[in-house]
Amino acid sequence: MNPLELTLGIMTAVGGFVDISELVFAAKAGSTFGYALIWVFAFSTIGIIVFSEMSGRVAAVAKQPVFNLMRHRLGLKLGLITLAASIISNLITCAAEVGGVALILNYLTGLPYMAMAVLVTAVLIVSIWVLPFKWIERAYGLLGLFMVTFAVALVAIHPPWHQIAGGLVPQVPHGLSTKELLTFGYFTVAIISAVMFPYEVYFYSSGGIEEEWSIKDLLTNRVTSILGMGLGSLLAISILASSAQLFGPMNVDPELPGTAALEAAIPFGKWGLILALLGMFFAVAGAAVETCLANAYSIAQFFGWMWGRHKKPWEAPRFTITWIALFVAALGIVLTGVDVMTLVEFAVLFSILVLPLTYLPLLLLSGDRKFMR
Amino acid sequence: MRRTLLMLAAFVSGCSKGPETDLQYIKQARSLAAEWALINQQAEAGAVTRTYAESMHQWLHDGLQTASVSLTQPNSAYGAEIRALIAEPEDAAPDRLRSHSEALKQIEDKLESA
Repeated sequence: MNPLELTLGIMTAVGGFVDISELVFAAKAGSTFGYALIWVFAFSTIGIIVFSEMSGRVAAVAKQPVFNLMRHRLGLKLGLITLAASIISNLITCAAEVGGVALILNYLTGLPYMAMAVLVTAVLIVSIWVLPFKWIERAYGLLGLFMVTFAVALVAIHPPWHQIAGGLVPQVPHGLSTKELLTFGYFTVAIISAVMFPYEVYFYSSGGIEEEWSIKDLLTNRVTSILGMGLGSLLAISILASSAQLFGPMNVDPELPGTAALEAAIPFGKWGLILALLGMFFAVAGAAVETCLANAYSIAQFFGWMWGRHKKPWEAPRFTITWIALFVAALGIVLTGVDVMTLVEFAVLFSILVLPLTYLPLLLLSGDRKFMR
Repeated sequence: MRRTLLMLAAFVSGCSKGPETDLQYIKQARSLAAEWALINQQAEAGAVTRTYAESMHQWLHDGLQTASVSLTQPNSAYGAEIRALIAEPEDAAPDRLRSHSEALKQIEDKLESA
């Protein structure tokens, strides 16, 4: 098995786990509740590994992407509701990612945020237009590995490993007031929802079709799901644990995505900061590509259009126009000046609605012998 | 029907004024003050780039302004504390910024336990 084949999983996971929402949610979770929410990440990781493996298997065996099969399983009405909720959730998430990349560029260069948002959108559109699918996943997947800086930074600050290990045990901290319990519950649901964003399985299964997976790729699918999602989870937990150690005692509940980069600056100085910001840049840019393509895949698959980046843009014109229009719409949302974190919260809210409508049919389909012959 | 809606709106807006409503902005300002202190501390130690520090200062300042104008009781003690924080220079001493954060934390704890 070629190690480069893992890049689809790495891009899906890095873009899914450590996108702009996770950067802030994981850091906030750590500063507010210490290590007590690590188990939620572990639990959701198992969930996303299982479902991405399932969606990859359906793509490899039945040669059908998730959304195509969902429409048949759910029927037209419920399928349309799922599609609408998923389009809204993915579009808002895509806007948050575009805004997030613009913010990170602003931290790196000092250039105006709005101008950066326009530049980022143009560069992302050109990169999807020019690069074949394999290179899209390799570029964003491998460059997103700069995020490993956060895991190294955690080791460098010598955290209490026994407490981190203790966080893997499902728990609710003692002595919380009713308000704090509600906040804990909110974080639990938000983390599960953010880790298991349905766009990850739409993108992953469509990616499997783009790469022409067949039964002989089932091992690649399994290894990619486990290692890719496992890596994403490790990075998210590193951000949470560093935040618990560095930010919690200082009354910092990171309000800005840029604060997370301090986790690497504190042990490693300027170079740590720059590597962390680069990791954030590529991971969030990968997430922007992922959410936009996932949305275009869903729409094209639902209406039975030609789709895929393995085709030339003009060979699948409606698909091409859709993903470009979605990027432009996401930019439009960012240019209204709405706060990136507000977008993230709305995206998570819609994602909660789409979660059961995506994962239940997938669960039923993967066990359906008629489809999985 | 319209009158009922107006009365309902007036009732809801009446209910949503006061320190309880402002708590979220107090928390936000408390954290922003602590983030500002941490950035200035790292800047003093040469651990962050000047561009990063300047950009973060801009965003922190914007966040504090938003929190300040969103308060339903701007003339309260916490309103004054947030305004004092906004008036601090960008390169204010970390300890000074932390004292603002601590003051807001005390107000926040008091309101939460009430």
